[in-house]
Amino acid sequence: MSDHAIEPYVRKELEGQEIGEAVIGDVERRLSVWERISNVDAVRKLSVLVTLVVAWELYTRISQINELMFPTFSATGTALYNALVNESLLINVWNSLSLLLTGYAIGIGIASVLVVFGVWTRFGSDLLTTLTAMLNPLPAIALLPMAMLWFGLGPAAIVFTLLHSIIWPVALNTHSGFMGVSETQRMVGRNYGLKGLPYIYKILIPAAFPSILTGLRIGWAFAWRTLIAAELVFGGQVADTSGQLGAEGSTAGGLGWIIFQSQMENQTPYVFAGLFAVILVGIIIENGVFRNIEDRTIRRWGMQIA
Amino acid sequence: MTDTTADIHVRPEFVVERLEAAQDVDVERRLSLFERISNINAVRKFTILLGLVALWEGYTRIGDVEPLLFPSFSASAAVLWETLLSGLMLEKVWITVYVLVLGYAAGLFLAAALLVFAVMTRVGSDFLSTMTAMFQPLPAISLLPLAMLWFGLGVPSLVFVTIHSVLWAVALSTHTGFMSVSETLRMVGRNYGLRGIPYVFTILVPAAFASILTGMKVGWAFAWRTLIGAELVFGAASGEGGLGWMIFERGDNLETPYVFAALFTVIVIGLIVENLIFRNIEIGTVQKWGMQR
Repeated sequence: MSDHAIEPYVRKELEGQEIGEAVIGDVERRLSVWERISNVDAVRKLSVLVTLVVAWELYTRISQINELMFPTFSATGTALYNALVNESLLINVWNSLSLLLTGYAIGIGIASVLVVFGVWTRFGSDLLTTLTAMLNPLPAIALLPMAMLWFGLGPAAIVFTLLHSIIWPVALNTHSGFMGVSETQRMVGRNYGLKGLPYIYKILIPAAFPSILTGLRIGWAFAWRTLIAAELVFGGQVADTSGQLGAEGSTAGGLGWIIFQSQMENQTPYVFAGLFAVILVGIIIENGVFRNIEDRTIRRWGMQIA
Repeated sequence: MTDTTADIHVRPEFVVERLEAAQDVDVERRLSLFERISNINAVRKFTILLGLVALWEGYTRIGDVEPLLFPSFSASAAVLWETLLSGLMLEKVWITVYVLVLGYAAGLFLAAALLVFAVMTRVGSDFLSTMTAMFQPLPAISLLPLAMLWFGLGVPSLVFVTIHSVLWAVALSTHTGFMSVSETLRMVGRNYGLRGIPYVFTILVPAAFASILTGMKVGWAFAWRTLIGAELVFGAASGEGGLGWMIFERGDNLETPYVFAALFTVIVIGLIVENLIFRNIEIGTVQKWGMQR
């Protein structure tokens, strides 16, 4: 027997002297109009947004902030409208997006070649894991100075950096997704006599689609950030991301360049307008494109709930 | 009865007349030395690294590549060694890491404040989800021009964009984590009489730690990329800069071995943070608690 006696805590007995009369509240009642309205998600979020906008407008108006430092919401709205209608903001957006799409498409192509190679041979798998471990932590933007040295100023240098920001997350996630495909599904595939590419397309890709989609999402997020940074940082050097050097007119360059240029010209409302455009493009791609792919694939296949 | 009939593929029967005698195959045999060595993961990966380095060195030497455009591995390594010894590299690393830690800590703190607010009130939750939906898709670096306008050139602007890149990623992922904490765990907390901040930190945080950690990792990745990018911009404006500035400045001066040395350092820091720090946190928490294999 151990000599550590455990002293049990004994709760004191207590007697409720007088229990108040039980009050039963509303068991069922109709919600008031106010409660029903405030239960609608969209209404609540919209009112948060409206409140933020009003706070912004009032703050800038009442405290008389210099418009160069922090423009009012109305000035920003006007600038956004002007940039969309009278100037060529849409063309700038398209310039950015076309670069992004080029880089994205080539990047996915290279990543899939690497991954296919990685699935087939052990050497390929080792090469892939070593390369991703080394190059994934390296911010792509850090390669831009070298890229400009190798490919000159212009779209080629930016596409090279974009490639770097897309290939590694996509390859890493796809490869680890493939590795996690259950042995049962692999055996089903082998049972059907699938080998090589058909095996990858019919068994591995559908089974690993959640991680592939994660990889594509991360790749897009990194690429979008890298692109804006590249246009912004080297705005002065890669003046024209659409091909011709030496920006002529305002149709040249992408969104990052517009933000950089407007800031240099002290047109702060246009900087904010550019930021709004960046947010809008981001929301459209996240919620429009990726959300739809998710709905049609992994959600429909029941691989992801909620 | 339906009038659509399915054609069933019937495999023709066949009889194998004579089976070949089984060749004498090894049922069990000792692996050769080469096979045993090449079964060690580290050896194979190390060989690949060595192979890549040899390829690089050979290409630059034999191909007679202009060293200003693409320095040889030995030149880059020599510069890395030299800058490490002279303390120059460590100084640059310190400048960058200092801003990173400052921004990361401030970002985490703000995220925690927003989250506590979001957990306690419905307005807070709406506010948080609206803000993250707005700011998560916005690359933090695009705020740099504004930050430089508001805070001037220097550390505060860099910290501002770093905070922005950490805050929304962490808040989003943690909030989804909190939302999916099971009702049972919540009831345990309420049963103990926990409310407010103790409720968040003793029930919600441990239960949602896997998603919090994911958020912290994503936040780190964005912050690191944003900071290096921001230093490239900010570098153009001021003389005192960290690793990003070193890459930009040396690239501009065509001192490419220095650029490669700085890139190596960036990779090494990334590897340390991901494989030492986050990996160890993971082992000490979610793996120990059995939430993740």
